[in-house]
Amino acid sequence: MSTSHTMKQRLKHNRPSLRQNARPPKQRTHLGNAFTAANLPVALALQHCSNCATVQYPPRELCRHCLQDTLLWRSTDTGGALVSRLELHNSLWEYFRRRIATAPWPIASVRLDCGVIVLAHLAPATFGAGITTEIPAATRVQVFSHTDCSLNAVLIAVDGQTAIATRAQRRAIADGLGLLEPAHKTGGI
Amino acid sequence: MKDYSGIALTAPISFGYAKQSPKGAAWFIGRTLQLMLARAGLGKDDVDGFAVSSFSLGTDSAITLTQNFEFSPRWIEQLPYGGASGILALRRAARAIQAGDASIVACIGGDGAAHRSFEATAANFSSFTIDASFPYGGGGPNAAFGLITQRYMDEFDARREDFGAIAVAQRYNANHYPPALLGHKTLSLEQYLSARPIAGPLHLFDCVMPCAGGEGFLMMSEDRARALGLPYCTILAAGELHNAHREDDIQLRGGWTEYANQLWAMAGLGPEDVDILQTYDDYPVISMMQMEDLGFCGKGEAPQWLKTTDLRFDGSGPQQHKLAHNTSGGQLSVGQAGAAAGYMSVVETIRQLTGDTEGNQVPGARHAMVSGFGMINYDRGLCSAATILARSDR
Ligand SMILES: [Zn+2]
Repeated sequence: MSTSHTMKQRLKHNRPSLRQNARPPKQRTHLGNAFTAANLPVALALQHCSNCATVQYPPRELCRHCLQDTLLWRSTDTGGALVSRLELHNSLWEYFRRRIATAPWPIASVRLDCGVIVLAHLAPATFGAGITTEIPAATRVQVFSHTDCSLNAVLIAVDGQTAIATRAQRRAIADGLGLLEPAHKTGGI
Repeated sequence: MKDYSGIALTAPISFGYAKQSPKGAAWFIGRTLQLMLARAGLGKDDVDGFAVSSFSLGTDSAITLTQNFEFSPRWIEQLPYGGASGILALRRAARAIQAGDASIVACIGGDGAAHRSFEATAANFSSFTIDASFPYGGGGPNAAFGLITQRYMDEFDARREDFGAIAVAQRYNANHYPPALLGHKTLSLEQYLSARPIAGPLHLFDCVMPCAGGEGFLMMSEDRARALGLPYCTILAAGELHNAHREDDIQLRGGWTEYANQLWAMAGLGPEDVDILQTYDDYPVISMMQMEDLGFCGKGEAPQWLKTTDLRFDGSGPQQHKLAHNTSGGQLSVGQAGAAAGYMSVVETIRQLTGDTEGNQVPGARHAMVSGFGMINYDRGLCSAATILARSDR
């Protein structure tokens, strides 16, 4: 391998801002990977305890309530209520920095009806809102998962009335947020 | 709860604040220790207890540092509790001294600030962070605190000006504390309001600047401090509670609500007797939460309370009610030196209560409330801690 190629690889590794393609964070724990796998066939799957019926998120090794090793990934109701939301104007991660250069990145925290708090990418357009703060707290929302271009399942929050029953509908929303394509840099390495 | 009588806090050192540094955490911790010993006229082997906090020690730890610095403590403690670390170190060291497990304890927080180290810490903070918060915008703590600030504003009709009152008063204090990294610049409310946006309602001057630095103090018996001729302050009360209110949708209160009254009773004081309040100010909304939960005002009332409360160290503001707050400028104006930020307010308070300041002395300060907060594992800070300290001759 040529020296210049090695140098380029090193630069790419050390300076994400030089990369041609920047992607969402790839890193997950083994539980995060299990979340992705469980969410492939359904709109939303979370850990359910078969001993005490507690639902939990973020994923854990054991049931957060009874501490038993009796967890199953099960399809979960997507309904919930908005807790808070904002637009990020700054990020520590190159993919989001590039997206933010075009428009701020909206995120939300949601209390799902099954009891858990999730953080999610927010699709303000589904609310007919121009800016996220126009969406009042306690607004009914739905949260579903979709695989991003780093091949991880990520959560997306949309208005409670948005049609998300089909895979195609969910994909269109994820695509609209730019999650399915890397953020390009012309002339990057 | 047993009281904290007979324990002295002394030899406060703030060391080496810098925006970036090629030096590692051990350098900041070791230099801080050396300066603490020099201040107290002690040698390494006089220290038989060692409590340390750092985010950037990597594979090193409290125990490897004992060989690094060649000393032999008979009591060690490592406290990875972010902004609550200093008060938790203080609580544990006080008990060790009372029990006779150690006689002189060095409590130190220190961190380096290598290129992109803050980014790495934020992305790898914990398993919940990796799986469930960082992937959503990579905002780091700004994202969680932006969401909290937005909800606080919705819930209690708070405005950006209200948060600005805290940031602007702290900058005034930093203008009188030479080591503050932003102390050479003034900050007006207009500048605060027109700063660039970071995360929702959070703008540039709501966010701390990550930096390198060390903060430390010595703990020993009052008898020992007197024998050494060291000025010191004492502990009237201290408490902690973690992952409190875990059913709340979002963090508008912390664990302090559950033990603040116990602290006041233990100290035999009320909020009106406090000359100095040091809150953990990683964001102004968190300072407001502490003001409310510790009993300085009611829940949601901090914006109103701040309109009539002067937070400047010298009481030179126009408001009638005076309460010196974050007297060195806090993290917002001094910089956030990783885990050292969790020791900063204890160190600054020892300086204030022993008259060891360099231009930001609170006149006649006798009692101080110091509060700590830390560890954004997912959507909220998990640690809460607080202590009431007093001048030794009050
Ligand atoms: Zn269970």
